Amino acid sequence: MRVTQSMLSNNMLRNVSNSYNKMGSLQDQITTGKKVNRPSDDPVVAMKGIGYRAQLGKVEQFQRNLGEVNNWLDSSDDALDKVGSAMQRVNELLVQASNDTATTDDRKKIEVEISQIRTHIQNVANTKVGDKHIFSGTKTTKPLHDGTNYIDPSDPSYPSLNKDVEIEIFDGVNMKVNTNAIDVFKDIDDMLAAISTDMTTGTASGQDYSTYLTSISDRMNEILTTRADIGARQNRVELMDNRLQSQEVIATKQMSENEDIDYEKVITQMITQESVHRAALSVGARIIQPSLVDFIR
Amino acid sequence: MRSTFMGLEASKRGLFTQQSALYTTGHNISNANTAGYSRQRVNMQPTLGFPGTGLNAPITPGFIGTGVEAGSVQRIRDSFVDRQYRQESNKLGYWESRSQAISQMEDVLNEPSDYGLAKSLDELWKSLQDLSVNPENGGARAVVVQRGIAVADSFNYMNKSITEIQDNTSKEIGISLNNVNSILEQIGDLNRQITAIEPNGYMPNDLYDARDNLLDELGTFFPIETSNVLSGGNALKVAEGSVTVSLKLKDGTLLKVVDGKDFAQLRVTATDREADNVTPNSMVEGLHLVSVDDAGIETFLNNDWTTAGAAVSQNINSFSDLGKLKSLVNSFGYSSDGTPAGTEKGLFPDMIAKLNLMAKSFAEEFNALHANGTDMNGAQGGTFFINKTQTPENATDIDAGNIYIATAIIDNSNLIAASDSAPDPLNPEEGNGKQALTLANMKFNSLVALENVSVQTYFQGVIGKLGVDGQQASRLMFNTVTLQQAVSERRASISSVSLDEEMTNMITFQQAYNASARMITVVDETLDKIINGMGRVGN
Repeated sequence: MRVTQSMLSNNMLRNVSNSYNKMGSLQDQITTGKKVNRPSDDPVVAMKGIGYRAQLGKVEQFQRNLGEVNNWLDSSDDALDKVGSAMQRVNELLVQASNDTATTDDRKKIEVEISQIRTHIQNVANTKVGDKHIFSGTKTTKPLHDGTNYIDPSDPSYPSLNKDVEIEIFDGVNMKVNTNAIDVFKDIDDMLAAISTDMTTGTASGQDYSTYLTSISDRMNEILTTRADIGARQNRVELMDNRLQSQEVIATKQMSENEDIDYEKVITQMITQESVHRAALSVGARIIQPSLVDFIR
Repeated sequence: MRSTFMGLEASKRGLFTQQSALYTTGHNISNANTAGYSRQRVNMQPTLGFPGTGLNAPITPGFIGTGVEAGSVQRIRDSFVDRQYRQESNKLGYWESRSQAISQMEDVLNEPSDYGLAKSLDELWKSLQDLSVNPENGGARAVVVQRGIAVADSFNYMNKSITEIQDNTSKEIGISLNNVNSILEQIGDLNRQITAIEPNGYMPNDLYDARDNLLDELGTFFPIETSNVLSGGNALKVAEGSVTVSLKLKDGTLLKVVDGKDFAQLRVTATDREADNVTPNSMVEGLHLVSVDDAGIETFLNNDWTTAGAAVSQNINSFSDLGKLKSLVNSFGYSSDGTPAGTEKGLFPDMIAKLNLMAKSFAEEFNALHANGTDMNGAQGGTFFINKTQTPENATDIDAGNIYIATAIIDNSNLIAASDSAPDPLNPEEGNGKQALTLANMKFNSLVALENVSVQTYFQGVIGKLGVDGQQASRLMFNTVTLQQAVSERRASISSVSLDEEMTNMITFQQAYNASARMITVVDETLDKIINGMGRVGN
């Protein structure tokens, strides 16, 4: 084959430009940290990348939702804990009142404290987290106790009082986060109201107050059952939290394996390419070979 | 009996011929770096010996040589390699232009990234999740509205950008056709000059080169077929004559575009086109030939110019997928059956149709679910996504270009139907976020209109297909570049100037020139002997 000067220079130019291209794509990979920068670089990676991103986004969102779930459950549990302590105090007061040595005056003093405790429990029933009343079902803007009375759960205008508030914590897994405690609060309130009435009128005997002790313990049991339910849900949330954390690691890893470069590998390729490029350039210095012109007079 | 001065004449011919060869060498060296130049060679041939034949011819002991002449100056070129080169360059033209079109779309769709449509859909899903957790929170509602706008914006942006690229492609079709038409005119002009020169016994080598360059350029636009018509008169055997150029269709049919000094012009057939007749504004149905007279009046021509007058549009589907022109048309959009009634196909129209379908199905499903919900005031959910071009705005004919969020919802985010309770304006369930959750997870619902896959999966499919097409285009482009380079190398090997070779030739010709000059001196000396040294006996 006949080889001419222009062929040499064209070839050299082409090879240098090819080598530059390769360096460009390696540099792109290193600076972005990604194997693909457009779908045609690798359609499968690009397609999967969209899926993995969505997957990771989901896990992050569910973790955020879990934070809210914890907020609801912790607040409900805390509120009911306060109710429990208050009931404990009522119990002590009633033990005092049930002594037949206690005078009507003594019981009236006790009544003052009991009615304060009653107001306190009414306040607890209206516990607000952020702008939500947590014991009001899905009617979260409405307090359970309006200052004088509890809302009547059988009132047809409030169908949402006993509804569940649910939060999605995983694909298709919804968690009930509220506690429908209106009945518990109402029972306690009715009982405390009866005790107060008995104490103000002063007609009841120590024996009568003793019977109240039984119903107090019943109410406290109800509270404990509700709290046990919350506790069980908190356990479930914890399990789900662990699961989501490992899911996050898995999703991140999958996404990274799919589209992130292996730095050691690409940098090595880059260095190799650099030396190839240097060689290509040094060829450039050699395309101007002495021709016959240099040897004839 | 031969002439006394025959030796002088023979050597003089040697001088002249070697000189022509030297000048040609000089021409070659000067053009060593001229693009498309093919090296030239003086074909030397001995002049007829003495004596000639005939009754009056003198009797001599032998047939004596009378010197040399330059028979012709020929360029060194292989028309078979040219043919191969043009075949590769129309493949290259096709794939290069296709790969460009796809890469422009890739830029618009911008996947995989943290800014594309997929991301904005993810963000909408997240905001709806947040809304389902805090349905009574005005902030969560406002975020849903903004994320909804972001999704609509993404659709609007992609639609607008691809339409713009499509627009630019129509301009490029026009420019390409103008370019082609100008090349055809130039080839016709060169044919005219060549056919005027050749009958005089000359070889217009540099005009041949110019014509071949134009043919190479033409070959990037569409596959061409050439044939030569030799000139009459005193034309040399090696003269190339005028070239007849035809555009070759898929089935081998030829569309004659240049014949001698006459040339046709290409026009695009489309329902709506610019006044220049080459820039399409609607899908391309085909191409047709016209001849333009000096006054600019166009007359239709058929394939082989036998009948003029009636428009003979070549169906766009009968053109093979070769050359830049077809590639541009394939990107821009063409009629599926080559008639105005056909459906529009092509890279850009297909992508726009897919985005439209996605936007429409997404909006309709979202609206249907939204209408099932109840808003913050306990009223039935209204329309969420609307067609912003309708007045008053409504949800008919939503596509990627016009999808937007209902103004009422933008103004008052409480109208987002986050609750799944029965409508009850007196007792709205502010804390019920179940419908928001249903709306969020609609992203994963398979939709019948989208071939039973979810919006996200469908979009993944669109991106995947685009990627595969792009990869194929750039791989084939790379392949054809390599092949074209190989052919180009072969062509250079045959036609390009080698300085060493020219130097060698120069020495050869120079020495021959010198020797001829020496020969003249020798003849001169012999004559001197006869003229000045003879007949002077006894002086």
